Amino acid sequence: MIEIERGPWREMVNHAQAIYPNECCGAMIGKIDGDAKTVSHAIALDNVSVGSQAARYELSPKDLLRAEREARERKLDLIGIYHSHPDCGAYFSETDLKNSCPWYSFVVLSVQKGRFDHANSWLPNAEQTQAEKEELIWPES
Amino acid sequence: MARILIPTPLRQFADKHDTVELPGATVGEVLTALTTRFPDLKKHLYNDEGKLRSFVNVYLNDEDIRYMKKDATPVNDPDTLSIVPSIAGGLDEAVLSKDEILRYSRHLIMPEVGMEGQLKLKSAKVLLVGTGGLGAPLGMYLAAAGIGKIGLVDFDVVDFSNLQRQVIHGTKDVGKPKIQSAVETMSDINPHIELVKHETALSSENAFEIFADYDIVVDGTDNFPTRYLVNDACVLLKKPNVYGSIFRFEGQATVFAYPGGPCYRCLYPEPPPPGLVPSCAEGGVLGILPGVIGLIQATETVKLILGIGDSLVGRLLLYDALGMKFRELKLRKNPECPVCGDNPTVTKLIDYVEFCGVPHQEAPPEPVAMTGDIEPTEVKAKLDRGDKFTLIDVREPHEFQICRIPGSTLIPLGEVPKRVGEINAESEIVVHCKSGARSAKAVDFLRQQGYKKVRNMKGGILAWSDKVDPTVPKY
Repeated sequence: MIEIERGPWREMVNHAQAIYPNECCGAMIGKIDGDAKTVSHAIALDNVSVGSQAARYELSPKDLLRAEREARERKLDLIGIYHSHPDCGAYFSETDLKNSCPWYSFVVLSVQKGRFDHANSWLPNAEQTQAEKEELIWPES
Repeated sequence: MARILIPTPLRQFADKHDTVELPGATVGEVLTALTTRFPDLKKHLYNDEGKLRSFVNVYLNDEDIRYMKKDATPVNDPDTLSIVPSIAGGLDEAVLSKDEILRYSRHLIMPEVGMEGQLKLKSAKVLLVGTGGLGAPLGMYLAAAGIGKIGLVDFDVVDFSNLQRQVIHGTKDVGKPKIQSAVETMSDINPHIELVKHETALSSENAFEIFADYDIVVDGTDNFPTRYLVNDACVLLKKPNVYGSIFRFEGQATVFAYPGGPCYRCLYPEPPPPGLVPSCAEGGVLGILPGVIGLIQATETVKLILGIGDSLVGRLLLYDALGMKFRELKLRKNPECPVCGDNPTVTKLIDYVEFCGVPHQEAPPEPVAMTGDIEPTEVKAKLDRGDKFTLIDVREPHEFQICRIPGSTLIPLGEVPKRVGEINAESEIVVHCKSGARSAKAVDFLRQQGYKKVRNMKGGILAWSDKVDPTVPKY
C-alpha cells in the first residue's frame, strides 16, 4: 500500500498538468513501514528522453542520485517514481515495464485534455515481465 | 577502499546497512567485495551471466563509471560509489503499415531493432542543419532508415562545385534551392516520412523555435558561428547534437550535449581566430570524406534513437582518409564550461558572428586604399595596350593549374615575404587571387615593404571569368 500526502500529491498533479501534452516524471520520498509506504515529498525531475516526450520519459540517473541523496539527508527513503500518461489511461505499458526496475513503486498519473484524471501504482517483478497493481491512496481534491 | 551507498530497497539484503565501507583498488574490486559480504545482493545487481543488470548504473562520486574506465576505474579512500537504476517508460503507440513492414524488413528481423526499434525511428524527429556535404548522406540514409520526421535547414542554391560530394543533389538540380532538391531525393527514397523545410539561415533569433519540434539535432554545417550556435541551443534545450566536421582528408565526429556528456565548448571554449582555420571552400575537401563522416553521424543518430550500442558521447572519433585510420580521443565534460558547466555564463543565445570575430559584411576588410583597386576589365585593357606592369597571382600552384591569366607570375601568398626580392619595386604591380581576399593581404604586405604602385584586382580570377573571359573556368 502506498499513500501520498496532500503536499506532494498536489505537486505531482500540478507537474503532470504543467508538462502536458508531454510526459512528466519525478521521484517520491517518504517512509516505509513494512508494506505501508507514505510519500511526504515529491521531487519533479527532468524528462531527458530523446524520443518524443509526448509518449516517452526517461530519468537521468544523476537526477535520481540527487533525489536519493536528498532522501538520505532528510532521513527518509526514496520510495518510488511517478510519471504521467497524457490522454491515456494510468496503465503500466510494455515500455514502462521494460524500462522499470523492481526496486520502487511506479505511480502513473493519467492526464486527460490537460486535467488530472486518475492514477495507479505498479510494482514490477524482478525480470520486468509483469507489474502488480499496488493499492494507492491519494487525498481527494 | 570506498564507501558504497545502498539504495533503500536493497538494504534488506545488506543487513539493513545504508552505507558500507569496503576494500578495493578499483570499482570492480569494491563491487566484488560488496557481493562477497552480502551474497543476497548479487541477484539484485547481476544477471545470470554475471553482468550488471541492464537497469543498474554505478556512479563514482558524480560520474557514471561507463564514461570512465568502467570496472577498472580506480577508487581512492574518500570516494563514494552509488548504485542508481536507469528508469524510463512511455506509451505504446504507432504501428507500421504493410508497406512499411516490407520496406523495413531487414531492420525488423534484427532483434536489436525489431518492431519496437522501428517504431522508435518512426516516432523520432530529427533536424539536419545543412544539406551540403554532410547533410547529403545524412538526409538520404536517415530518410531510408524511416525516421518519422526530418527537418532540413538550408538557404543555399545547388552549384556545380557542390556535385563532387553533395550526392543528394544532381546535375539537373543546379540552380535549384538545396532544400528543395534534398526533399525531392529524400521523398523519392522514402515516401512514408514527413519532411519539413526550414529555408532560412539558422540564427540566434530562430534557433529555439526551429529546434523545439525535434528530439535530436545533427550538425552538418561548415562554419564556426553556426557550429557554436547549434551547440549552445542544443545545450540550453537539452537536445543531443550529433556533430561532424571535415577538412581536406580528415574528419571528426562525436555526440555533444547529451545529458551528462560534454559539449562542443567543453572541447573548444573559444573559436579560433578568424582566418586561421580555412573552410572547405578555401582548403578543399576530398569528395568522399563527407560521405564517411556524415554516415557516422547518421549511425550515431539511429543508435541514440534506438538506445543501442555505445554512442560517441564522450569520445571524439578522428578519421584520416589518407592513412585510412580511425583514432579516438576521450572527451570529458568540463565543469568550467561556459554553457554546460556547473556555473554557466552563457544562458541564452548570443551573437555568434561577432563571437567568432567574423566581419558582418561578406567582403573581406578592405586594405587602406592608396591607389585603390583595379577592375579586371582595366587589367585586360592594360594587357591589350601592352602597358608595362607586373601581374602577380598569389594563389597556390594547384589552383594555377586549373586556370590562369596569361602573362601572370605565380607567387603563392605564403611565399611572398621570402620572394619579395623578385618583385621590381619600380614597376607597376597588380596582384590577384581567386576572389580578391588573399591578394588584398599581399597588397597590404607589399605596401608595408615600401611598394608604392601596387593594386589589387577586384574579385580575383572569378571576376575575370565573369567580366573578361568566360572561357576561364570557375572553381
